[in-house]
Amino acid sequence: MRELMIGNYAIARGLVEAKVEIAAAYPGTPSSEILPGIIEFAKRENLDVHCEWSVNEKVAFEAAFGAALYGKKAACMMKQVGLNVAFPSFFESLEREIRGGLLLVSCDDPGPLSSQTEQDTRMVCSLLGVTVLDPSSPSEAADCAYYGLLLSKKLGKPVVLRPTHRVSHSREAVRLYHLGKRKVRLKEGLVGKGSFKGFGIVASGTSYSVVMDVLSELGLKRDIPVFKVIKVHPLNDKVFQFRDSLERVIVFEETDAVIEARLNLKGKVYGRLNGILPDAGELSYDIIRKAVIEMCHLSGLKVKYEEEREVDEVLGKIHLPLRPPKLCSGCPHRATFYAMKRACPDAIFPGDIGCYTLGISLGAVDVFVDMGGSVNLASGFDSVFKKEGRDIPILASVGDSTFFHACLPEIYDAARKKRKFVLVIMDNNITAMTGMQPTPQTGLTADGKRTNSISLEATLSALGVKNVKVVDPYEIPTLVETIKNSLSNFEAEDGPFVIIARRECLLHKKKKWERDIELDEICTGCKRCLKDFDCPSMEFDEDKKRIRINRDLCVGCGCCLFVCPQFSKTKKKVE
Amino acid sequence: MRKRFSMEILCAGIGGRGVLLASTLLLDSAIRKGIYGIGSDEYGMSQRGGSVVSLVKVGDVKSPLIGKGKADVILGFEESEFLRNLSYAKRGGIGIVNTPKKALNSTLQDLLEKRGVSLYLLDADDIARREGLYQASNMAVLGFFSSLGIEPFTFENLRDSICDRLKGKMLEKNLKIFEKGFEKGRERRG
Repeated sequence: MRELMIGNYAIARGLVEAKVEIAAAYPGTPSSEILPGIIEFAKRENLDVHCEWSVNEKVAFEAAFGAALYGKKAACMMKQVGLNVAFPSFFESLEREIRGGLLLVSCDDPGPLSSQTEQDTRMVCSLLGVTVLDPSSPSEAADCAYYGLLLSKKLGKPVVLRPTHRVSHSREAVRLYHLGKRKVRLKEGLVGKGSFKGFGIVASGTSYSVVMDVLSELGLKRDIPVFKVIKVHPLNDKVFQFRDSLERVIVFEETDAVIEARLNLKGKVYGRLNGILPDAGELSYDIIRKAVIEMCHLSGLKVKYEEEREVDEVLGKIHLPLRPPKLCSGCPHRATFYAMKRACPDAIFPGDIGCYTLGISLGAVDVFVDMGGSVNLASGFDSVFKKEGRDIPILASVGDSTFFHACLPEIYDAARKKRKFVLVIMDNNITAMTGMQPTPQTGLTADGKRTNSISLEATLSALGVKNVKVVDPYEIPTLVETIKNSLSNFEAEDGPFVIIARRECLLHKKKKWERDIELDEICTGCKRCLKDFDCPSMEFDEDKKRIRINRDLCVGCGCCLFVCPQFSKTKKKVE
Repeated sequence: MRKRFSMEILCAGIGGRGVLLASTLLLDSAIRKGIYGIGSDEYGMSQRGGSVVSLVKVGDVKSPLIGKGKADVILGFEESEFLRNLSYAKRGGIGIVNTPKKALNSTLQDLLEKRGVSLYLLDADDIARREGLYQASNMAVLGFFSSLGIEPFTFENLRDSICDRLKGKMLEKNLKIFEKGFEKGRERRG
């Protein structure tokens, strides 16, 4: 039987069929759907699997590793930058013999599409000598998950599965097997019967699949020899023989030149290192097609293909509005950012990782590094400003899930050192960016059962933060006042002020108010709302030269009324 | 020997507006007929109202990615996103775009004609709004596409896919919008 599913569910399926016993993860695109997939398949198959969202990747890895040491089959899931958080324990785990099995799934993000950096999990694994699998499709990812977990048990060492987002988020009909009965079909090595000696292709992951489609398009499938790699470490010896049997070899892989670096021979091996391919980023269909054609030219093989630029040339003359991602209509974060900017336009704004990184477009995030960076950057700025005797207000922001993930030692450290900054915790009681996973405050487990809820206020107080205020971000004037007061009332002994801007995620609650927001009538066309608030429901009517609220998108939160200078004027008149 | 067959569809639209559901329904329809299919979606940041592209390939294909000049069909769930991806349309391909306009930019329209691309303009938002479910304009586009009768994306097959994926009131409304889109397609083509 086959079932249509995304790659992450296919991985979950493979793990459940391999009878995984414990699974721990921290959500992060593109890895977030694996744990919910395990929960679903375990329920369907009546398999008892302990599944948990851990507070961060280090916790997830160690929980899984502990279970594996004891003899259980364990899995832990994260995105590539999450592996950085788990790195100390991952590194250490390689020195130990495990009695069970441990599959670490670290999902990479070539591009990157939803991360701050690309990074290649395979690179780390190759350097450390860890077995790492690089599947080319959802079906293959299911096989790799199944095979990888069992292999780990056999080796007594962790094994890593590295899908990219094009595997994790591709959809394919994946074959289902009974528990313990998966027929793994992982075929590495020579593909097809290409006999051309001028050049050959080594490829892994999604790039392998794309290569095969490109060769079909160009009619080269019977000519060009292709060597497919799934196990990037340890690398199959035959790939070296493959290289040595040909005049030239080009390597297609994502994201870094890992296989290519192993194969590298000057003048013979082509890829990201010698400039025929870009040295970073996703290998799109167009990039791979272009490189294959270039290799054909280099090797004297005729190929029929004409690049067409007509459409792009015409499109280049038409203005297409850029459509960057925005916070949703009615998002409480937008109100918070507006209030922060309004309260203190001259502040320096360190931000953090989540939906609210989008605060950049509202001018209320100046700089961010990684999860938890907001607090530490604020601390760093504070020590410099103190030293130089400058009085620059510092207004940092972070979400509730990220706060629990990466800000606890940070805020304690700042409190102990009496740092002078205001931290706004945007508390929507959910991990929104990655698909609505519960946070420690939510009081729910990964499979929806009740558990202890950890109070944000109590946590802050225990960590030594003396001043904590809770405000509803929809009360924009109150929030502006609270921020202003916090910034002006610093005493030397205080340490950081924390303002909790608390309101549930609208996307999660699917809330809508049945009221029409009337900005259109009073609008004078100043565009202040577009510039400072930038709600997706706002459009500018170029004919009438005034704002138009898109009633299909507007949720009726009414926050924009605080932003409109006309509205406050007319309201004052009424009063 | 079986004849090689493949069909590549690029779905372009705005995050959170049903592009993903549309591409899933296309895949379902292929799989129901025993045809191999693979699709690729964009998640994360792009879902927050940004540009979204969802790719569907069925038949003798391996990867979910589409090259420029390779897409048999471009389904534009929003006009500017449709235009942004137009260079992926192959010669002799099909373009369906959700727009209230009666014609696109004339230079572009001429060029598409020259390249043999059949272009269809459809006010899917209007159809969906009339049924009280603005977010479901994707169904009108799918309905229109089904009127072209290209296997395996026929009216009956896509309708069955919708019935399998949706339930209750949502199913009722979505189906209605899908049917309206289909009718528009039939009218247009006489």
